[in-house]
Amino acid sequence: MSLRTSISPPAVAQNQIQDAPSRHHMWQRISPYIYIGPAVIYLIIFMIIPVVQGIQLSFTKTPLVRPDGGTGVGLENYSRLLSSPQFYNSLGATILYTAATVIFAVAIGAGSALLLNQAFKGRTIVRAIITFPWAVPTVATALIFSWIFNRSDGVLNEVVGVLGVGQQGWLVDPKFGMAAVVLTSVWKVMPLVMLVVLASLQSIPSELYEATRMDGAGALETFKAVTWPHIAPTVRVVTLLMTIWSIRRFEIIYLLTGGGPVDTTNTLVVNVYRQAFSNQELGRAAAIGALGLVLSLLVTVVYFMMERRNAAKEA
Amino acid sequence: MTTQEAPPIARTAPHKRRLKAPGNRNFSKPVRFIMLAALVLFSGFPLYWMLNTALSQDSELYGQAQGWWPHWERLADFGDVIGSVPIFKWLTNSMVIAGGTTLLSLIFAVLAGYALSRFKFHGKGAAGFLLFATQMLPEALLVVPIYALFASLGLLNGMGGLILANVAFTMPVSVWIIKGAIDAIPYEIEEAAAVDGCPRVTILSLVLTPLILPSIAAAAVINFFDGWNEFLLAKTFIAERDLWPASVGLASFVGQYLTSLNSVMAAALLFTLPALIFFLLVQRRIVSGLTAGSVKG
Repeated sequence: MSLRTSISPPAVAQNQIQDAPSRHHMWQRISPYIYIGPAVIYLIIFMIIPVVQGIQLSFTKTPLVRPDGGTGVGLENYSRLLSSPQFYNSLGATILYTAATVIFAVAIGAGSALLLNQAFKGRTIVRAIITFPWAVPTVATALIFSWIFNRSDGVLNEVVGVLGVGQQGWLVDPKFGMAAVVLTSVWKVMPLVMLVVLASLQSIPSELYEATRMDGAGALETFKAVTWPHIAPTVRVVTLLMTIWSIRRFEIIYLLTGGGPVDTTNTLVVNVYRQAFSNQELGRAAAIGALGLVLSLLVTVVYFMMERRNAAKEA
Repeated sequence: MTTQEAPPIARTAPHKRRLKAPGNRNFSKPVRFIMLAALVLFSGFPLYWMLNTALSQDSELYGQAQGWWPHWERLADFGDVIGSVPIFKWLTNSMVIAGGTTLLSLIFAVLAGYALSRFKFHGKGAAGFLLFATQMLPEALLVVPIYALFASLGLLNGMGGLILANVAFTMPVSVWIIKGAIDAIPYEIEEAAAVDGCPRVTILSLVLTPLILPSIAAAAVINFFDGWNEFLLAKTFIAERDLWPASVGLASFVGQYLTSLNSVMAAALLFTLPALIFFLLVQRRIVSGLTAGSVKG
């Protein structure tokens, strides 16, 4: 087996190799592996092996106190999960949370980008304020919102009180738990959508707008003919990223509701954590984790299939 | 020159171009104003409320007595405002963890980014896939096996182990950012150095690295604040209160009101400010870096 190696522009590489003594030649072949090796080995140790171990773990009954002393139980963890309503509740919570967060974050984010793409006084400061939440650490976000949502002393109840609504337990009432968590998440992640879409909008050549305006197109027609086609790929990618990130989001939910009230926000990742570190059942936690991973992969595969169909349609 | 051509502003004053560019005009003025006001309120109010809470009197915090304006005079004795929250200890820990994560992650990323940008080699596709796919792995799903691994290696309850785990999550993005930056540097520059007989390591460290410094800085900021904000791994691995980073320390106050909330919020503000300032400074670069990494990857 030959290890064929060359530096990107082959002409240079050939010159070098021809002139160089054979030890140098050997060096040329192995050097890319020396550069990429550390990163790859690192990821294998800290990502791939844990994933494999996690899958192994999911076929065992392993207590938290002795993480390396599990007993094999075959598919029991999976069969118990797939027949437990609690698991389907958790899956449902994940899907509801993800769908709501992604829809609102993308809609508000893209809408803000359209607004901010217009020239007006104070645009820089407005953009900065809208961007701020993205930079706020998640734990600080949870602290702020748990205070805003606080039942007896929170400002949200003060505001709705003015509107004649009584005090609500935003984080402890099953009616509102999910909404509160989604609102907080949208606040935190929406700016990224805004920034990415705005960057895309600003790359539209102004000549295109001029041309459509010359043709007498209205605002809506311009949007359909120029703006949307240009930003659509970006919006699709950012939607995918938001979806994957929402499926895996842990901190906001865990800190605000801990999966409650009455498990209404017990998404898969929160569920994994509770199974592992509250119920101390590493095996079952790993099984939920594995199923969660399948969900993330499924989303990615669906996305790439849709992209391929889109590409085929355009061709 | 006809009127159909691009507006002259674009050419004569490039720094004003973005502001003056016609853009799309989808909204009428009053509608736009209302929507913008709503957005600013939505995004800005919680942060304002954090500041306001941090600077409010103890007595105001209960029974919805909190005033709408911050007591700026409380800034004068901010030490008392922080109160009993050991935030400076925790912030120091956060600094160590985030700094270690950044350093280690960047070393791997510069080397790997260079290999991916400048070499052709067997297994390049596989390495690229590994770097792409690991970004998809949810932290919360990996935390159990990593916990088991670290328990057997004796790496729990130390900042070193936490840094090692963090790097696995921050490094892939950095690799893509660095690779993209090196891709954009013309090869001729290295060629000249190579002809002079410069070893490749020297070219990378003395010729290329200075050229891609802005991207390295952007990657560093992303890594640093990933480490700074990281909560789940730290919470799981570190039980000792004195070793907690600020994220875990502050989280211990969520929904727990034994310590006065204004102190907690003031501490949270100190934890938030560095991130806020840095992100504002390098925001543009980060967006292009993130999208380059995860989109084109």
